[in-house]
Amino acid sequence: MTLVVGFAPDGRSRAPLHLGAMLARSTGEDIVVGAVVPVPWPPGVGRVDAEYQAWLVQAAEEALTQARARMPADVEATFTVAHARSVPAGLLELAEQHEASAIVVGSSAAGGLGHVWLGSVSDRLLHSSHAPVALTPRGFRCTPATRVTRISAAFGGTHDTDDLVVAAAGVAARTGAGLRLVSFVVRPAAPVTAGVGLRAEEPVSAEWVEEIQATARTALARVEHLRAHPPGLETAVGHGETWEEALDDVEWQDGEVLVVGSSAIGPVARVFLGSRASKIVRNSPVPVVVVPRAAAEELAEEAMQAEPRSG
Amino acid sequence: MATLREQVLRRKNVMAMTAETGADTGGSELARTIGLFQLTLFGVGATIGTGIFIVLSQAVPVAGPAVIFSFVIAGTVAGLTAICYAELASAVPVSGSSYSYAYATLGEGVAMVVAACLLLEYGVSAAAVAVGWSQYLNELLDNLFGFDIPTSLSQAPEQGGILNLPAVILIVLCTLLLIRGASESAKVNAVMVLIKLGVLALFVVLGLQGWNSDNLSDFAPFGLHGVWSAAGIIFFSYIGLDAVSTAGEEVKNPRRNMPLAILSALVVVTTIYIAVTLVGVAAQPSSAFEGQEAGLSAILENVTGSTWPATVLAAGAVISIFSVTLVVIYGQTRILFAMGRDGMVPPLFHRVNPRTMTPVPSTIIVAIVISLLAGLIPINFLAEMTSIGTLVAFLVVSIGVMVLRRTAPDLPRGFKVPGYPVTPILSIAGCIWIIQDLRAVTIEVFVLWTAVALVWYFFYGRHHSRIGHEHALGEAAEFRVPEEVTR
Repeated sequence: MTLVVGFAPDGRSRAPLHLGAMLARSTGEDIVVGAVVPVPWPPGVGRVDAEYQAWLVQAAEEALTQARARMPADVEATFTVAHARSVPAGLLELAEQHEASAIVVGSSAAGGLGHVWLGSVSDRLLHSSHAPVALTPRGFRCTPATRVTRISAAFGGTHDTDDLVVAAAGVAARTGAGLRLVSFVVRPAAPVTAGVGLRAEEPVSAEWVEEIQATARTALARVEHLRAHPPGLETAVGHGETWEEALDDVEWQDGEVLVVGSSAIGPVARVFLGSRASKIVRNSPVPVVVVPRAAAEELAEEAMQAEPRSG
Repeated sequence: MATLREQVLRRKNVMAMTAETGADTGGSELARTIGLFQLTLFGVGATIGTGIFIVLSQAVPVAGPAVIFSFVIAGTVAGLTAICYAELASAVPVSGSSYSYAYATLGEGVAMVVAACLLLEYGVSAAAVAVGWSQYLNELLDNLFGFDIPTSLSQAPEQGGILNLPAVILIVLCTLLLIRGASESAKVNAVMVLIKLGVLALFVVLGLQGWNSDNLSDFAPFGLHGVWSAAGIIFFSYIGLDAVSTAGEEVKNPRRNMPLAILSALVVVTTIYIAVTLVGVAAQPSSAFEGQEAGLSAILENVTGSTWPATVLAAGAVISIFSVTLVVIYGQTRILFAMGRDGMVPPLFHRVNPRTMTPVPSTIIVAIVISLLAGLIPINFLAEMTSIGTLVAFLVVSIGVMVLRRTAPDLPRGFKVPGYPVTPILSIAGCIWIIQDLRAVTIEVFVLWTAVALVWYFFYGRHHSRIGHEHALGEAAEFRVPEEVTR
């Protein structure tokens, strides 16, 4: 399998290379780094923009040369310039050609360092990709030997996350990473005017947590029955009045990747970021992989048939 | 099996309460961040606007212009009870309603009575406020578009309608918001308070033009009795002052700030109420109040002879009463939630929807009951029922303070009632005096309701009580915190 890494021809984005390398190193996949340049328009007429096209391709190739220099040596990577009407379309085509297991893109430069920020490319991918989409926080870096140490699956306690959990478990088992189910309790403080105390929400949250922990335990029990299951299984709950607080409430480690499922209301095959998932993505301090439901199902099936890793 | 006496008197372990709310939810320790000024604003914001928009049409016919003294009386009693409430709240290191405090200090039986009062207070006041909202909405529609909702759809059956539809719609809207997990933020709350104050200021300033001393000539047509009776009806407009007490845990220097904040909020609120009332009773004869709908707005229209001030006032009332209804229904569901967790009501009431993280079934049940009340029962009855629920809850709290001083004198209290034992005794006397002047039917309905609650307790709560079960299992002392799955 292959990871498609989107690399902007301006050559500025290192984060997706680092994430791509970290993922590829962990799963043993190879990487295709793609720089997308626009196709001539209108197509075929007079070639008035031939020079411009040539310049674009040259710039992209130069960028790829830089990318080649930055790519760690232990990962097998190819570099290619793709022609497409738009960057997301080019990446999607590349992903289809290579039957990619994921598309890796960076954060928009408009966002703050350390958080995932969706730009026009990632936003479009998150609504149309058939393959999982991996997003880096802005400025993401990792040391040349970093592997995925733990996969955190965002767990909402409803049955549409079942496949996601098993899929994440399968990937975790394959890469030797731990699996953690994380849930987030985001509740504003109770209105003081209600006269029931400022902490009236806490018992409600506590009840929800009890319930979610119980479902998380069943989900993990299912994972334990897999022949190949991840070395560590845990759960975590983040509390906060805002999503940012809730995500900060959980501890994150180096080499951690957060996996988020696609919304149940979107199309089955494609990624569709729900309102909550999108809030989780935006506030995540670690790279996020958004998995469409169909891909999650496929991965879950694979995980159920997988044999334990040797060695 | 525990004896009845043990059952009625069993108390909830404070440690368990803390574990239930704090330990497993992360944010257990709240910093003391609320200062005197902010606390006073809480009090003013929570109190103003629930009653003053709708209560004059019920209170003035009972007392005449002397109704301004009713406000002073009701305010004084409300202040005394709020101070007692603050002591009880500070003795129990968890945040909650008077139900939680009663459970921790006075036992299960009393807690059930307090719960009955609170359910009545919240449920009925939500209904009363929704009916008031419907009046102002009608006024607003009439002024803006010349459109009146027909009587059959905007009045309770007793007043010649079929159903008060706007009130029901308001409750449904609030319910949908609560199910989605909306909760009024501090900022929204501040805006709402400003709107309420602005609207009342508008009324006072413009209403002064209609000052006619002749209207005040028959100052107290029904004497002292009328004044006390009206105080009972008005008490309802001081609900919310006790919200200050529930914030006790987060207040800086509570010993000083708590009574000061209650007192300052009381003075501010009473001054505003009296200003509004004085302008109102001077603008039209007492007899004109009877049955007047959207009272403040109607008076303003008569006085100024133009509709825009009335329209502005009605719009302000529609916005701010909406937020009050939302918050009251919210409080109601959270009290039922606490009761559900204690096993006093069926577990259905503490079921949380995993998707929205809100207690959906309990919110829907509450909404249905309140909708029925608001749709079918006239407002004056609702206002009185709210008052009696609140008064009895406060009565119990005031008695509780005295009981607790005797039974647990060493219990650490963040705040102690100044002037003990005079303050709680005055508070108790004030509550009783106001209660006995309410209409007989109100008291009868209340007694009936409490009896129903107690019957419920004897046949259901007593046997399903969570601490009862834990006693039986011999593990009352340790409350199990769900362990994390770590392997």
